[in-house]
Order: sequence, then C-alpha cells, then structure tokens
Amino acid sequence: MSEQLSEPLLEVKDLHVEFDVRAGIVKAVDGLTMTINRGKTLGVIGESGCGKSVTARAILNMIPKPGKITQGEIIYHRRLRRQGSPQLDDIVDLVKTDPDGTIIRQIRGGEIGMIFQEPMSSLTPVYTAGTHINEAVSLHHLTPVRKVGDQIAEQVMAHRAVTKEEARAIAIDMLHRVGIPKPGERVDSFPHQLSGGQRQRVMIAVALSCEPALLIADEPTTALDVSIEAQILDIMRDLQQSANMAIMFITHNLGVIASMAEEIVVMYMGKVVEQGKVVEIFRDPKHPYTQALLKSIPQLGKKKAGERLASISGMTPDPFNLPTGCVFHPRCPMFMAGRCDKIHPTFKEVSKDHYASCLLYEEA
Amino acid sequence: MAVAEQVVKTTTPPKQKQVGQSYWSLVWWKFKRNRVAVVGGIILLTFYFSFVFIPEFLSPYALNNSSDYTEAGPTRLHFVTPDGKFQLRPFVYGVEKKIDFTTRKRIFIEDTTKIYPIHFFVHGDPYKLFGLIPTDIHLYGVDQATNPDVRVLIMGADALGRDWFTRIMYGGRLSLLIGLIGQIMTLLFGTVMGVMSGYYGGWVDMVIQRTTEFLGAFPDIPLFMALAAAIPSFWSPLAVYFMLTLILSFVRWGGLARQVRGMILSLREREYVLAAKSAGANDNRLMFRHLLPGTMSHVVVIATLSIPGMILAETALSWLGLGLRPPLTSWGVLLQDAATVRAIHNTPWELWTVPFILVTILAYNMLGDGLRDALDPYGSR
Repeated sequence: MSEQLSEPLLEVKDLHVEFDVRAGIVKAVDGLTMTINRGKTLGVIGESGCGKSVTARAILNMIPKPGKITQGEIIYHRRLRRQGSPQLDDIVDLVKTDPDGTIIRQIRGGEIGMIFQEPMSSLTPVYTAGTHINEAVSLHHLTPVRKVGDQIAEQVMAHRAVTKEEARAIAIDMLHRVGIPKPGERVDSFPHQLSGGQRQRVMIAVALSCEPALLIADEPTTALDVSIEAQILDIMRDLQQSANMAIMFITHNLGVIASMAEEIVVMYMGKVVEQGKVVEIFRDPKHPYTQALLKSIPQLGKKKAGERLASISGMTPDPFNLPTGCVFHPRCPMFMAGRCDKIHPTFKEVSKDHYASCLLYEEA
Repeated sequence: MAVAEQVVKTTTPPKQKQVGQSYWSLVWWKFKRNRVAVVGGIILLTFYFSFVFIPEFLSPYALNNSSDYTEAGPTRLHFVTPDGKFQLRPFVYGVEKKIDFTTRKRIFIEDTTKIYPIHFFVHGDPYKLFGLIPTDIHLYGVDQATNPDVRVLIMGADALGRDWFTRIMYGGRLSLLIGLIGQIMTLLFGTVMGVMSGYYGGWVDMVIQRTTEFLGAFPDIPLFMALAAAIPSFWSPLAVYFMLTLILSFVRWGGLARQVRGMILSLREREYVLAAKSAGANDNRLMFRHLLPGTMSHVVVIATLSIPGMILAETALSWLGLGLRPPLTSWGVLLQDAATVRAIHNTPWELWTVPFILVTILAYNMLGDGLRDALDPYGSR
C-alpha cells in the first residue's frame, strides 16, 4: 500500500503570522509546524480564533492586511502537470512568492483549492449581463452572464487551455460529480436559486474543477445541516480517492474530523499543542487541552440526566497579553505551579508518531 | 435496465428549458408595473428616436431653410373653408406681409382666397435619412414643389423666417446626445476611479478622493467658463461640442466615484471576493468582474437621475454663450435666441423650447425613480 510512501506535499515550518493592529501585535500563528502528505487528510482542530483559518490563508499567501508572515516557510512540493511531457518537480516557498504575482495565482485555485465556511456568500451573487465597462477592462473574455456554471468554467479556463464549450461540459460534469441533480439545468442557475447545500457543492466543484493537489477545507460544513453535511463529506472522500488529493480539513467539529482525517493537529492560540494519528489522539489524548476538548463532546447515553456537560474552564486568553510559559496554563487542570507559568514547553514525541507540547512529558 | 431507460426517455415529454429568473428579468418585471416610470421611459424613447434619428423626416423644412416669414407667429390651421364647409384635411391660407405703422411691427394677413391643403408625406427639402438614404419626403407640410413660398409654421418662425419647430427638433439632437454621451463618459471615469479607490485603498484612494474634493470645491459656472474659454475659437463647432461634453463629464465624475467607492469598500469584504481570489483571480478580475457588478444597479439609477443635470448644464452654458454657438443648434442656443425682452415681446413662441426641456427632464426623473424602485426587486414596495 501507499502507507509507507507518505510523500510530503506541503511542509509548514515554524510559521509566524502577526497582526499589527492599533492595540498592539497579535500573534495569530506562533511557530506552527506541520506536514501535509500527498493524498492524505490532515485535520486541524481548535477553538475559534486559534489561528486555523489564518494558517489556511497563509498557505495561499493571502493574509489580509495588517497581517504579515514574519517568520517561517511554507514549502510546497509542486508537481507541474503538462500533457505529453515528463512530470516536472519544483519546490516553492509560498511565503516568498509575490502575493499578486503569477506563480501564486497559478497555484491558487489551480494547485491548491480552497473551500470556505460560508456557502451562502462565497459565490458572486449578482452576475449580470456584463457591462461594457466591465468587459472592456477585465482580463478575460468569457461568458456574458455570471451563472453558477460560469464560475466553474472560469476557473478551468484560467488554468488550462480549453474552449468555452469544453469548459461548459466540464462544469456540467463537475456538478454531476458533486451530486447536484439535473446539472445541465443547474449550470445556468444563479446562486440565489440554489439551496445552501447546493451552493456548498458548487463551491466544492469550483475548488475541485482543476484537480488540485491540495484542498483546504475551512470549516466546509459548519453552515450546513447534518444530513447535507454527511453528503458533502461523502463527496469529498470519494473525490479524494479518485484524484489522489490531499485535504487540509479545518474544523472545530470533533465528530467530523474523526471520520475524515488520518492525522490530526490540535491548535491552541496559534500553536500546535498536539499532533498524531486520529485513532491515537481520540483513544489516548496526551495534552490536557485535547483531553478537555474531547471531554466536552456531548455523548448520548453516557451521562446521567441532569449531569452537566464538561467544559474547559476559563476563557481564551487576551491575545495582546498572552500568559507566560505554557499559554494554556491558566485553564489547565494539571497546572504545575512554578513550572507551567515559567517554562515554554517544547514539542516532543510522546509515543510513536504522537507529539505534544506539554511539561507533563518533559523531565523536570 | 437499458430498455427501461429508453422507455423513460421516450415517454417523458420534452421539457421546456428552465430559464433562470435573472436579476435583470426581475427588475424588468417590477419596472413594468410602475406606470409613471414606463411613461417616462416611453417619452424618452420617443424623444430620442424622433430628435436624434429622424428630425429631418419629422420636420417640414431643412434646418436652415429661411423664408420671408420673418418673425411670423404660429400658422393657424383651418378646417372650415371661407364658404362654411367643414373638411377633415386641414389647410392654411396664403399670407401677405404688411407693416403696421402704429406699432412698427410686421403683421401677416391671411389671404382667404389662397388655400393650401396640408398633406402627410409631402416632397420638400432633400435630405439623407439616417445619413444614408437620400429622400425628400417630410412627415407633413404643404407641397413645396408646387408652392415653394408657403410655410406651415406650427410654432412660429424666428428672425430669419426659419420654422421654430424644426429648430427645436434639430436642437434636441445635440442637447439630448450631450446628456447621454456626457453621462456615459462620467460613468466610465466615475466607476473606474471609484472601484480603484475602494479596492486599493491607501495612497490611490487618497489621491482619487482628494481630486474629487478638489473638483467638487470649484463653483460650477466659473469652472465651466474657464474651461470653455480654453477651447480655441477656430475649432469646428463639432469639436467644440465634443470638448464641451468632455468638460461636463470631467467636472461631474467625482460624486459617482465617491458612491462607487463606498459600495466597493463594503463589497470587498464579502466572502466571494476572497473565494475568487483563492481561485486565482487577479486584481483586475476582482475589481471589474466580481465587485463592479454589485454596484451596477446603483450606478444605473445615479446615471439616469443625473442626465438631466447634464442637459441643463449644456443649456445653461449655451445660454450664457459659453457652450455651443450658432450655427450649431441646441436647446441652449435656442433659448439664447429667446432670451431678450424684445424676443419675449415680439416672438413669444420661441419659448416653445422650454416645455421640451421640461418634459425631457421630468421624464428622466420619472424613469430614474422607477428604476430606483425596480432595481431593488426584493424590496417590499
């Protein structure tokens, strides 16, 4: 099997992203290191505001102002696909690319696709009979009317040389693959004529239409109801297998991650606190934060009536004024006075392929 | 399985293709129900078609066809012959020009022995329809081949004996077009500047916004005067005309740019912009294909409502003698003719220009209001 051939696709090394806002500097991502392997799914979990989405944006070099990548590198093992010529490999540090340049724009959408949290607002709503102004100044030529199908077709044309008819055929095929009924008709629909689930599928179809090597799914099912969520996850799994695509799955839904990912990264305040195989982490979480997270999942039948659901005590710390030592120490049930508030824990292998950064696993 | 599919295929009737209810079709549906706006639209379409495309045909004479009917009042149309018979076809009498020695005014006395019936589609001054088809058919009038000296002047004549109604129609061509062309140029300037200003922010925004403020701070008329004075006097009237359009739109793009900028500022934070960017779209594509369409409904309304301002500005400038000058004919030029006390006293029919301007501007406002309501098809009203 391909188990042993886990070939890295994207390596994030010691990434720091800072937002220089009026009240001070926010370290949104603080020394993040992780690897995404070709054809595998990496789950990223953590509370809101722990830097998951910022990491995703950093990979596409799309950090919004006033954010900045201050340190670290994102190594992307690029495999250029050219028909008829041998495969070319190239290594690109995405941090160093020009954020408006050609290289990163080829990679965005073409090689690394992204699905957003909000299917309702991620499709351009009014695409009208294009105005003359619009057509004259825009780079591409394309379709007179912005419909769902065109959004896919547009992306295909930006990265591959195909004719308009072929692009439309691909669009219909993609809609069919993501399970939209009557794709031939739906291709001409406007976003407001589609349901939330359909819109999210269209988003997925857009992201997948160029067969990216990596799909970044930033909470793709958060806005959907459970039955549609299940369908979307099925579609993503199917497409992953058929296209050997890697997925970086960002969520705060532990149930979803358990069914999707092979490996999990747990983030807290811009840092990775624990990393390992999904089974390992669910069976034997090492970091107190992960343990607390897992305890806070409501489970049917396990609790007596009236019993309170476990929660993590305290609040996420003020990003301008992070705690000293381990950032989790004010909320940690295993807090060791004199150590946790003084010493920064290092990221260590606690068992085979299972890493955590906690002083519990470090020698005194 | 295959057979079953075949059966299904043959038995289902060919379905009509489901056509998406696009934004603009909703807008059209709502617009149609607003009677006032539809009337405004129809008036404007009629005016534009009549005055811009076919004034040669609608007017009984050529623009500069002068006659002996100097400062003649509107010709009276008669239906009853001197012997008391009613006829459906109107006719005019021949006139005799005299001078009233007490008031020192020219007077035209109808000669009831000379009867000239008015016909539709009569032969008159030759012209080219749409600038292409040579013909001499005019919508109405007295046949000029047989009676070259008789005039039908439904709105009177000017000091050179030219038909005032003819002049109004030809004047409408320039006045209506200057509004439209000028507004299109304003739209181009305004939206491009506004989109760039809102999208890039920073120093681009700074420069553009300060420029609009600078332009906006000038009092209109002196600025027009200065710019119009800069037009070389030896330029052909047509070149002056285009220069004037350019000046008008140059002064007026600022307001639109600010509104577009405001809308872009909010639109650019939408998820779909991020989504498009993550799909590899570049700045131009984001600005003009993803952001600009979101502002179009607003821009259309603003544009419609500010065309009257454009037309009035041309009129005002020409009236002041700074805009178009004879031999060009525009409504402003015509008003200038009518702007003396003498003209108001002797040839009050020259004020017929005013209702045309009024109706045009009211029609634009009616249309604009209707569009504003219709462009929000999901709104409650």
